[in-house]
Amino acid sequence: MISGAMGYALRVDELVKRYGGVVAVDGLSFSVRRGEVFGLLGPNGAGKTTTLEVVVGLQRPDSGRVDVLGLDGAAHGREIKARIGVQLQASSYYEYLTLAEALGLLGSFYPRRLAAGELLRLAGLEGMGGRRVRQLSGGEQQRFALAASLVNDPELVILDEPTTGLDPLSRRDLWALVRQVRERGATVMVTTHYMEEAEENCDRLAIINHGRLVASGAPRELVNGIVSREGGAAYTVKLVMAGPLSEGQLEVLGRRAAAAPVVAGNNTYLLRLNNAAGSLQDLLDEAARCGTALEHLEITPVTLEDVFIELTRS
Amino acid sequence: MLAITWANLKMMVRNRQGLFWALAFPLLLVTVFGLFDFRGVGPTGLAVADFSGGFKAELLRERLEAVAFLEVEDLDGDDARAMADARRRLTDGDLGYLLLIPPGLDDPASETLAGAVSPVTLVYATRNPERNQLVEGAVHRLVIELRSDGRPVLPERMVTSEVIETPEVDYYDTVLLGLLGLGIMTNSIISIAVRISTYRNQSVLKRLLVTPLPVWKFFAGEIIAHLLLAMVQAAIILAAGVLVFGARINGNVGWALVVVLLGAVVFLNIGFILSAWARSPAAASGMGNAVALPMMFLGGAFFATDSLPWLLPYAALALPLTPMLDALREVAINDAALWDTWPQLAELGAWVVVTAGVAVRVFRFS
Repeated sequence: MISGAMGYALRVDELVKRYGGVVAVDGLSFSVRRGEVFGLLGPNGAGKTTTLEVVVGLQRPDSGRVDVLGLDGAAHGREIKARIGVQLQASSYYEYLTLAEALGLLGSFYPRRLAAGELLRLAGLEGMGGRRVRQLSGGEQQRFALAASLVNDPELVILDEPTTGLDPLSRRDLWALVRQVRERGATVMVTTHYMEEAEENCDRLAIINHGRLVASGAPRELVNGIVSREGGAAYTVKLVMAGPLSEGQLEVLGRRAAAAPVVAGNNTYLLRLNNAAGSLQDLLDEAARCGTALEHLEITPVTLEDVFIELTRS
Repeated sequence: MLAITWANLKMMVRNRQGLFWALAFPLLLVTVFGLFDFRGVGPTGLAVADFSGGFKAELLRERLEAVAFLEVEDLDGDDARAMADARRRLTDGDLGYLLLIPPGLDDPASETLAGAVSPVTLVYATRNPERNQLVEGAVHRLVIELRSDGRPVLPERMVTSEVIETPEVDYYDTVLLGLLGLGIMTNSIISIAVRISTYRNQSVLKRLLVTPLPVWKFFAGEIIAHLLLAMVQAAIILAAGVLVFGARINGNVGWALVVVLLGAVVFLNIGFILSAWARSPAAASGMGNAVALPMMFLGGAFFATDSLPWLLPYAALALPLTPMLDALREVAINDAALWDTWPQLAELGAWVVVTAGVAVRVFRFS
């Protein structure tokens, strides 16, 4: 079922959305296959949330087409809403209802619904049905929001930055829940800022910038794409110096690397190296000639974060 | 829709502080007004129709004008329309008394025992028994003094009273209905405006928009829940006024509640409109007060609006609280049937249509 129209949970085709004179989404196209966890990545203001809002029917596109579960978004809004689950950024729930009541109320809007108890169990909130949302921790609130998006047993679940603001353990719990949702047979589309999480948890990704698609594919493919484009660059070297380097010094350092250096923080520089033997030694020798001590050195394989920074750097 | 209405009711009841003040504010006013003694004698109008044109009538009129709480006006006794109008005003409580002075007042022949002259007639409604007793006593004494010249007379030949049976009413009865309208208005406007703007700030509205719930069901759920709350409020206000402070409701309470419902719909719509402009719940609350307070005074909750200066009485007529209170007082005090208040109900109906139209146009979800 992977090929053909039925193989896709979502197809976005040449989508354009403007707000006044500002183009938020500019001819964006991508597809989400049924049964996968799909990540939509991009820097702030790239058009992720606007894209999601068009997909879930909160906004009308200026042009282009969105097909959700094989249905044209422009013509079948209500049917689509009945079959998808949505978790919006920063959307809270009725403060005077208990969790079970809120799930019951949301469920009453759908022709097909799951029992509140089952949803709470799925989200690891068993026995908390009598509490109010504000009595939950941040992680519990996000898991509850996800449970609320599953109230109609949806075929496609759309999550907008579900892990933002959570501690590492809560983020892990939430991703475990996302995997569970996928195992139940649903397709998941998720936006996130955390590249490591996207790399670990998404089957495929789209990276967008300025409302356009800049790359898409499996995380490994994207990473390998950079590796091959830069002549086999396979590592990122992070140098933390005792003091700042001048533009000139950076340029000299860059000549020893496979791509232009990235200033990643206070006296912190990222350089890409390819597999050619001896290049690390060359780089370190060059750094030693800068007159500033090297405080810290890290060598890591190229990650999705490197890809992201590379592709979305203006 | 049943589910969302039920959920709304639960939320209202659990928002204890909000609910408490929604009920406490009008009750506070009911109490404050209840503590005053309005059963004393306030100023009232007395219309004199003089058919004699003589000096005794003149004298009587002067003596009556000296009574502090009587505001004397003259009526042309030959103008049938003016006379009919005066009687209608008596029945409605807009005029206190009507004094008919017969043609033979100055004729000495009429003052004898055998004389067959009609007596001076005082016409009044049974609206305010304490005041009636006072005025009747004063008028009878004055007329007898004037006509008898110290001779023995049969008083009923000289002066008589014509009583129009109306239900007893005092200011507190009137003001209680004003407070009822006021409480319903304030709560409906502010509660909806604050709730919707809270929902919007917390993205609850956006969350509902991504469900297949039709938008009209969301509105219906809010409106039905608030109308039920308005019924409870009305019942509490009326019960407190009647049971604790002895207000009288002469008419049909059921009709009064129908008027309350219609008025509440107008004010809920106004709340929806304000919520579209308010950027925060606090702003919504302020806007609600800004709309409700002037209406409270101009709408005639506490005093008759025809005593307002300048163009304000006309402005009062253009506000939705005015027909609501008129209709409430007609059915509750004057025991009118609901359909007799059709002009007020039609005006409220027009308000429902207009405010709903504006609300639908300006409402926004995010």
